[in-house]
Amino acid sequence: MYKKIVTAIVFIFSALSSVAADGEYAVSKIPPALLKNADAVLRVEEIKFQIFSTKHTEESNHYVITILNENGDFWAELYEYYDKLREVSSVEGTLYDATGKQLKKMRSKDLEDLSGSSGSSLFDDNRLKRHNFYYKVYPYTIEYTVNISYNNTLFFPRWIPQGREKFSVEQSTVSIICPSDYEFRYKSFNYTGDPVVTKEKNAKITSWAVKNMPAISREIYSPLWHELTATVIFGPTDFQIDDYKGNMNSWLGFGKFTYALKDGRDQLPENVKQAVHQIADGISNPKEKISRLYEYMQKNTRYVSVQLGIGGWQPFDAKYVASKAYGDCKALANYMYSILKEAGIPSCYTLIRAGKNAGYITDDFPSQQFNHVILSVPLQKDTMWLECTSQTIPAGYLGDFTCDRYALLIDETGGHLVRTPKYGMKENVEIRNIKATLDDEATLKIKAETTYGGLQQDDYHDLITSLSKDKVKEALHEQLDFATYEIKDFNYKENKSWLPTIDESLDITVSNYATITGKRLFIVPNIMTRTRRKLPADAERKHDLDLGFEFKDIDTVEIELPAGYTPEAIPSDAKIESKFGKYSASVKLAGNKITYYRHYEHYSGRFPAKDYAELVKFYEAIYKADRSKVVLVKNETP
Amino acid sequence: MKMKKIFLIIITCACLKAYGQDKSALKFGDISEKDFAQKVYAIDSNANAVVITDIGSSKMEGSSKGWFALVYKRFRRIHILNKNGYDAANVAINLYADGKDEESLDKLKAVTYNLENGKVVATKLDTKSGVFKNKMDNHRVIKKFTFPNVKEGSIIEYEYTITSDYLFNLQPWEFQGEYPTLWSEYKAAIPNFYKYVFLRQGYKGFTIDEVKPKREIFMIVDHKSQYKQDAMSLETEVSNFRWAIKDVPALKKESYTYTIANHITKIDFQLSEQVEPLQPERIMSSWPEVSKKLMAVKDFGLELTEDNYWLNDVVNSIVKDATTTKEKAQKIYTYLRDNYACTRNYGIFVEQNLRNVEKNKSGTVAEINLLLVAMLKVAGIATDPVILSTRSHGNTYYGYPVINQYNYVIARANIGGAFFLLDASQSRLGFARLPLYAYNSFARVINLAADPIELKAIAVNEAKYTNVSVALDNKGNLNGTMQQTPGYYESFNIRNLIKEKGLVEFQKAVVTSFMGPRTTVTDFKIDSLDLYESNLFIKYNFDEKGENESILYVNPYFGQGLGDNPFKSAERVYPVEMPYSMDQTYTMQIEIPDGYTVDELPNTITLKLNDKGEGKFEYKISQSGSTISLRSRLVFTRSLFNPNEYQALRQLFDMVGKKQAEQIVFKKKK
Repeated sequence: MYKKIVTAIVFIFSALSSVAADGEYAVSKIPPALLKNADAVLRVEEIKFQIFSTKHTEESNHYVITILNENGDFWAELYEYYDKLREVSSVEGTLYDATGKQLKKMRSKDLEDLSGSSGSSLFDDNRLKRHNFYYKVYPYTIEYTVNISYNNTLFFPRWIPQGREKFSVEQSTVSIICPSDYEFRYKSFNYTGDPVVTKEKNAKITSWAVKNMPAISREIYSPLWHELTATVIFGPTDFQIDDYKGNMNSWLGFGKFTYALKDGRDQLPENVKQAVHQIADGISNPKEKISRLYEYMQKNTRYVSVQLGIGGWQPFDAKYVASKAYGDCKALANYMYSILKEAGIPSCYTLIRAGKNAGYITDDFPSQQFNHVILSVPLQKDTMWLECTSQTIPAGYLGDFTCDRYALLIDETGGHLVRTPKYGMKENVEIRNIKATLDDEATLKIKAETTYGGLQQDDYHDLITSLSKDKVKEALHEQLDFATYEIKDFNYKENKSWLPTIDESLDITVSNYATITGKRLFIVPNIMTRTRRKLPADAERKHDLDLGFEFKDIDTVEIELPAGYTPEAIPSDAKIESKFGKYSASVKLAGNKITYYRHYEHYSGRFPAKDYAELVKFYEAIYKADRSKVVLVKNETP
Repeated sequence: MKMKKIFLIIITCACLKAYGQDKSALKFGDISEKDFAQKVYAIDSNANAVVITDIGSSKMEGSSKGWFALVYKRFRRIHILNKNGYDAANVAINLYADGKDEESLDKLKAVTYNLENGKVVATKLDTKSGVFKNKMDNHRVIKKFTFPNVKEGSIIEYEYTITSDYLFNLQPWEFQGEYPTLWSEYKAAIPNFYKYVFLRQGYKGFTIDEVKPKREIFMIVDHKSQYKQDAMSLETEVSNFRWAIKDVPALKKESYTYTIANHITKIDFQLSEQVEPLQPERIMSSWPEVSKKLMAVKDFGLELTEDNYWLNDVVNSIVKDATTTKEKAQKIYTYLRDNYACTRNYGIFVEQNLRNVEKNKSGTVAEINLLLVAMLKVAGIATDPVILSTRSHGNTYYGYPVINQYNYVIARANIGGAFFLLDASQSRLGFARLPLYAYNSFARVINLAADPIELKAIAVNEAKYTNVSVALDNKGNLNGTMQQTPGYYESFNIRNLIKEKGLVEFQKAVVTSFMGPRTTVTDFKIDSLDLYESNLFIKYNFDEKGENESILYVNPYFGQGLGDNPFKSAERVYPVEMPYSMDQTYTMQIEIPDGYTVDELPNTITLKLNDKGEGKFEYKISQSGSTISLRSRLVFTRSLFNPNEYQALRQLFDMVGKKQAEQIVFKKKK
């Protein structure tokens, strides 16, 4: 009896409390505008970055996120990397239900400690701490407080309260706390107003804050993320890593530091010196000399990444690479630098941010924004660029991994920001000639000769250099846009140069290429270059269009038809012009031969959001034109 | 005596002849210039690297820790032929660990040989600084190294020894790998007091498959023991097994393969028994015994054997409105499915007790489905757990209770005499439905009899119905209605997609996927989106402006044809494993526009994969009055096909594609 009463009282109490005391993080307290189009809401975020000395900084991050639905689960997982330069000193976590009632606290044994390195050619000391409450009753709220300490000042945080699309922000602040005699630097995007500066004893606190940012939806061909949302990036003035010191006020200063890290690491062993002279001494043309030495480096090294402690930032010396015949980007670039130096050719160790869509180097904000190293060789009239981690890429060519972006050239005077080459309409070409024969069974025998240039050859370069011939054939069997076909023969020829091209010959038999229905024969004369691009209509397009890739495709096709057909319908000439490019296609039929010609130029550029509808139409029109059919009727046999 | 010797010699000669290319005699470091001569190997002219020899051995020894240890040795020599073979120079060795204890890796030697100016130059791996250790989790440590001075044409070789106190971990051997192998050999010396079950698989026959008995003495010492004379010696017969395969081709990946693990040529071992002179103990037993054991251990079934009164309130509140037993089961299932997060999609053992699972409202697939079993039992429904192996995890052996072949747990409920298989770990999965990946090989019910259940892909029939009705006016304007019931699993995928991308995005994707530029879609409707037991029903209207031409060509599929042939490759090595059997029906009616006549209709045909019609395509088209009707049906009553049926399969799809491309032609009356 007594027990029952107690239960009843407890029950009443808990019922009361759940009505009365909606917790601080109850979902009901989220402003309705922030729920719209959001998968998760950042309720509170407080980032504090404190600089104690150039050898010691600490970051504390306290944040609360309400997860509204399954897609928001992305935000529920805590991931923190650590290594010899970055230590995760503490993590606390709490889970709340929709009313803000605390459900659970993270136990320290639930914080997983995992290896952060992957891939067989990677040897590093990256590890990570991970935690997840794995809750599924939506909405729910997670709260974490993470403390991180650094033994260096190379890395400063980046404040992007809205880190992804469909994520709204109730409030977020970032504060940089530093000794009053220390200057840090910052640059903001989409942030109005100035930071608030307060002073305490020996410290200076600078803070930024945002409130009530509605969720953003990412649109296709959107500009870079930091152009869409409030972002502040930070950097040091004086900084230090291990015993290497520098000043980041200018690219020059950052460059000096980088130079010091690699300085004196260019001693080659005697046998490599000899090899260098054997190759180089007889050649007078500097480009030729560089190419031959580069090929020597490619032949005698491979990419293996070893990143331990400061080794993530400092190259292994040239002797190391010579003895192991491997290295990472830093070690290999430094090795190539040493080889060229031995041959009397000065070159520059060059920092870059690599990746197909690697984003953007904030050129007026010197800071550690790079993830890769290449080599540049200044010549009289131009610069030769060398990607030292590839064993196959032609000397002087960069590809979409590193082209058309800022890079930081390092020499003894410091760092110099320059742009890597852009490959445009003239370079990124595909020129195709097809001669084909259709038989009575609708089988098409195709001989296609294609030249790919510039960025259009990148994928083919990877295909033929990374796969054996039978694997290339298998890949072609998966890739070509035909229903059922056999590859009878194929061949690739690489023309290695600063602007490489690849010649492709294909001999293919496609069964049922044409459609025969009774007396009619339907055939699409554009055999191999049909666009697949199609965009959904979007009346509410918000952001600018950023079209990055320029190219030109020219196709000529001749198809011999079986005898005894008369044309019934031939597509009329297509001519489509817009600010995004121009397209023309024509079909002629003479005797038994169809001749098809297609010319397509696609421009790059930045266009206002309102142009989106026009882009949709442009692609649609090309999509349709690429698939137009010739219809023929079999002659009545007398 | 003399006779025997002679006989032996003859046998030896025969062996030498038969195994002319036996590489088992190769010695570490025995490399000469001529070893570099070969640039292309007959086994595979396209190979990036060729494994010259790969020889392993396992034997049991008396250990210094008072028991036995397994000693595994491996020696491998690889000829790297070009740059794409460089990956062969990166080596990762897995070691089993248990907390702080781990198997020890010793006597590692790795050397690269290059031919420089006609001479063999050796570069050794510095095993002190060059080996990286990475602790992956509590039971797995990886040691990695890479060879120095590797170039095109290098020969690399390495050898090492792993000593293991974990007798269940007798190393398996894969005869087949990423590179073709000229000689792959494994020896296992197993003393008769331990019994292992051998699990062999693969298509490649053994070149050597033999066993020779030999008597041996085992010395066991315990260094930690306080008694000096705590040593034991034991003489017993040892079976020396030797398996070797000459010229093993590289593994090939193919689409429509559940997992390549089912096809690789390998041998694996399971410790089954410890016998005299040791204390006899069955380690691997019969299925009913394993089942009994599983139900008695804390990390699987123990809690299910208890009364679990603590669940009463929860279960009662869930089922309070249910009137039938089935309804009760459905409510409990739905409650778990919709409120519990699945933290890991594999594994049969639980890491937290059911109370915690209930408290956290999250758990692994095993934890959630064992809680499902517990809850159903509390509700009075007889339910047992079922363990199975998912498709990507590979087949299970029917006969042997090898627990690590299982990686997934579901529940089987007996409701009014009918059995229902349930998986509450997957969002939006209907009651009594299983994810496709669960249809694989043999599952086992963990009950007294340990009933086997065969979960065949063929048992899943994915049936899809599509109807399009179209009116065409005399200007060529087209106006149609699409009604479609996708198959259950397609519906399941669409539900997931809509959850992820939103309904609007899904609509956009449907519209852009097949419609032309001048097509508009209206009245887009999806039914049954929240009825997870049912197939979806999708309906919309579409219209397309005509160009007022005198001849109209109409493809009757309106984007609903197959499109590509799913079987692209010209050849096939492994069986074709389709995800399910299927039955797709497509019907279409079109009104002949006023003022036009039908100039051409495709033929009616039926195509069959084989005599039995296990794959069949029917295409029936007819005109009746002013309406043309098409009824087409693609049926596969099987889901598994042998490689020798591949060409027929590929051809059938080719013909289907061809037929589906055919056009109806209308001509304006003169």
